[in-house]
Amino acid sequence: MSAPSGTAAAASAPLGFFGGSLRRDLAILLAVMALGALVPALLNRGLIFIAGMVWINAVFGLAFNLLFGLGGVLSFGQAMFFAAGAYAAAVFSQQFGLPFALAWGLAGVVGGLLAGAVGAVALRRNEGVYFAILTLAFAELVHLLISNTALLGRNDGLAGLARPVLSLPGLSLDLREGDRFYYLIVLACGGLIALLRWTVGTPFGRALQALKQDPERAEFLGIPVRLHRWAGFVIAGTLTALAGALVAPWAQIVTPELAHWSNSTNPILYTLLGGSAYFWGPVLGAVLLSAVFYITRTLVGVSDLVTGLLLLSVVLALPGGVLGMLDRWLRRGRSAQDGPR
Amino acid sequence: MLLADIATLLVNSLTWAMATFLVAAGLTLVFGTLHILNFSHGGFFMIGAYAAYSLGNWLTPLLGGPPSVVLYLFGSLVAGVVVALLGLLVDRLVLRRLSGVEDAYVLIATYALLLVCEGATKLVWGLKYQSVMPPPALDGALLLGDAVLPRLSLFIIAAGVLCFVGLEVFLNRTRPGRLVKAIAADPWMARLMGVNVRRVYTATVAIGFALAGLAGGLLLANQTLSPSLASAFVIQAFGVIIVGGMGSISGAFFGAILLGLIDAVGQWLLPGLPGLPFFLAMTAILLLRPEGLMGRRT
Amino acid sequence: MTHFDRRQILQFGAAAAGALALPAHLRAQGTPLKIGLITPLSGPQEFIGAYVKHGAEIAVDQINKAGGILGRPVALEIRDDKANPAAALAAARELLGMGINLHLGGISSAVVLALAPVMQQEKGVFLTCGAGTEKMNHEAYSPNLFRPGDSPDARGRAQARLMAQKYPDVTRWTGLIPDHEYGRTMWSIFVDGLLEFYPAIAKKKPEILDPIMMPYGVSDYRNGITAALRQQVDGCFNATYGGDAITMFQQARGFGLMNRYKVVCDAANEFLVARGLKQQLPPHWTGMHYYAAANKGNAMSDRFVADYLAKTKDPEPLGWAAEAHAALYALAKAAEKGKSTETASVIANLKGLTWDTVTGPRTMRAEDNQAVKDVELVFIDPANTDKGYAVSQYVKVAGKDVILPPAPGQKLKLRTA
Repeated sequence: MSAPSGTAAAASAPLGFFGGSLRRDLAILLAVMALGALVPALLNRGLIFIAGMVWINAVFGLAFNLLFGLGGVLSFGQAMFFAAGAYAAAVFSQQFGLPFALAWGLAGVVGGLLAGAVGAVALRRNEGVYFAILTLAFAELVHLLISNTALLGRNDGLAGLARPVLSLPGLSLDLREGDRFYYLIVLACGGLIALLRWTVGTPFGRALQALKQDPERAEFLGIPVRLHRWAGFVIAGTLTALAGALVAPWAQIVTPELAHWSNSTNPILYTLLGGSAYFWGPVLGAVLLSAVFYITRTLVGVSDLVTGLLLLSVVLALPGGVLGMLDRWLRRGRSAQDGPR
Repeated sequence: MLLADIATLLVNSLTWAMATFLVAAGLTLVFGTLHILNFSHGGFFMIGAYAAYSLGNWLTPLLGGPPSVVLYLFGSLVAGVVVALLGLLVDRLVLRRLSGVEDAYVLIATYALLLVCEGATKLVWGLKYQSVMPPPALDGALLLGDAVLPRLSLFIIAAGVLCFVGLEVFLNRTRPGRLVKAIAADPWMARLMGVNVRRVYTATVAIGFALAGLAGGLLLANQTLSPSLASAFVIQAFGVIIVGGMGSISGAFFGAILLGLIDAVGQWLLPGLPGLPFFLAMTAILLLRPEGLMGRRT
Repeated sequence: MTHFDRRQILQFGAAAAGALALPAHLRAQGTPLKIGLITPLSGPQEFIGAYVKHGAEIAVDQINKAGGILGRPVALEIRDDKANPAAALAAARELLGMGINLHLGGISSAVVLALAPVMQQEKGVFLTCGAGTEKMNHEAYSPNLFRPGDSPDARGRAQARLMAQKYPDVTRWTGLIPDHEYGRTMWSIFVDGLLEFYPAIAKKKPEILDPIMMPYGVSDYRNGITAALRQQVDGCFNATYGGDAITMFQQARGFGLMNRYKVVCDAANEFLVARGLKQQLPPHWTGMHYYAAANKGNAMSDRFVADYLAKTKDPEPLGWAAEAHAALYALAKAAEKGKSTETASVIANLKGLTWDTVTGPRTMRAEDNQAVKDVELVFIDPANTDKGYAVSQYVKVAGKDVILPPAPGQKLKLRTA
């Protein structure tokens, strides 16, 4: 079967999403993880906490972009899966007493089930703006339900969540001390990012790209469009929930704000800032935006204005995000080198 | 006793519905014509409210005596004009550049604009909560048997109905209005016929923003004035235009009434889960009839 | 030209002379003692955070003029928690990582509850300047968390007691309660007070109707107001807060709801609602963390008001400023007492501490880290002035008469109707 038309052109792009090789991206991932592991040695405690959140948000953004950049599906409600994962992890570990690994896995399952249900219902015949608003509505529904459920702490949420003690055969890792849990975050998120990257390169991933380019033609070619989109939605929801589940032991508190629509806009911000056509876009966006917030943290009150103007300028002036800008420079540089044709 | 309850429930629902319609009207008009869902519409509504507030603060001591209904209405009109001018600026700087851009990016850009509105409002007017008393003529209530019907509620209902009628007349009975409708339906054909589509778009944006500002002024006495006013109305307005059909003014009008009734009945029957019936209704419509009550299937 | 009364001139003169006359070695010297201030400086609770900041800064100036803490000048490290736990955690970890172990601030209940485990793990101390959750001294108790200000149960019960004393014939009560944790808890506490004090003081049994549960964060309260209209009651307890309360009162006006009640008792709005509504204000009792006029004659309070006016041009520092002020003085005294700023010593010396504040002396209970403080209640009327409101009565209720016994680690147990 012929590859979708976009891939050929994109393959020559140095930062190509579609064409970048799996091996190269995994190498980048390992390098980033190695850098990440150095953070506790180099930065202050507050920054370590933020770094952990950046890893989690990076996965959040990547899962969003699986739907959006790869599949062309804009969801304005991903926060519901993030919150579902966080609350599930909290409930399973604090109230059911399950070991962390199991609680984490189950949290992913919860996210997947929720995504399956929402996707089955929402993807029926909704596209574009309608689907976006529908996901917004569902997310607000989840937010409402969480805020009104006594077992989930209502609007106070669940506090006092403990960091785990991992007991593996023959070895026990106490992650309660200091920032040891950060290393687990790096490992877990690294794994999730690798999984996401692998998904992009599978036939399933390529099919998603195809149906983003031209759903009619894809259907013609025998790709069941709705089924693929639904599957993509479920995968994104599961991974988002797994990322959200890490917030429970990291921040040690989960509150309904995690399901608020402003949290749904976060992965969108990261993706657009970094560049949605590139695999690493959301990761770069998460890092950059966190950096901006950290730097302006003492310039109180101006944060709304700064975020808004930043986002506006990215959309108007840099539609490909930061990576898109870099890509154009590199390509211009390269074609200049090639000389006149 | 029960009849009075029903009357009050109806009036309350209609008040919420007309307040939301006033905010949603401009939003759905802009979407219908330019296919841009303006997330920042609530932000300009808020700026309109603050503009009317500042004008009232300035004029009331000059004119002496308690503020009259005329002053209140005048303030709303001025707010409408001010926000319309802002709308022209926004059109020039932002919206024009978004034509041809994917829906998703447009949504993000207008969300960013909302943040800018909120930030600017905080800087200019500060963070304190303010509130405005309705003019004495609109204060108090009418008593209909056992039913208590606040005058401000009746004013808001009247304002909403008048706005609806005015917009329908404009869009269906006047030449410029029909032009707007034609372009909303088929811009390509309109261009072929020599219509300056760009100019009509700009005018529509101005009208949409003017409606936001006008709503801000008219609803000034209805709720607290604070920088979080924008987010308070955003979801409501979205819900109403989705149920009614994005792009349809009459859809927004009847959609608002429907949702208002559903919400009121829901609060009566299920007081423990406020807001739930609203979202369920919105979700149901998006699933069963995504183009809304009065929308056209595209 | 500003008018100074003689007492103020004397105070200023004395302070100035004192500062100049102090031999150099008594003035604050040595490496600065950094104390963390984590408070909302942006976002929904921004302007409450501003009061906390000013109150803390004034306390720091005053303490430094008097020699600092253990001879060291105090410096505040201020961080914005945006009223959200993740931001608060990042700020707290940053400050703890910098070696700062003493902190104050925290208005949002979620923030305070989020900080408890971190403070315990990282050996820090945190004093809240006005969070309303009862959990921090009950099921979420942590030895590293202190509340140097009003306890929610003391406040609510003091209000109920006042109602029984002043309005013994108002026995039918309802509530306008926002449907969240804080609202429900405040109502339950008030009901507990009604059930104890009406029989004891008014010799009558109170009749408590089902409260009206209000939504929060919305722009229309009319359905709730209409439901309230259907109730036949004389007394109303309002727990709606801030902007929501203002919207609700505005809309209730059209219905004449507030006129139906013989007395309206508001949980905690200080002057927020009064400043927002001005002439539209329904007359009501409310609780203040600190009311300047009720503390005239207390040297510390008078000086605080003067310093606050000089610093911010605001003649009416709201309660949270005073809570921050009191928190810093508590830390100062605990450190001086134990001759150390190490966490273990400060905790040990905060427990059981009696210290002077702008509301008079307070005692920190050792069992549950809750201060016993006099509750200040004021009655606010609308007024035809620029300000729009005026206080016509105020009352101080001794905290020890109304506060519930300590129960760290357990949920708050209350009487129910």
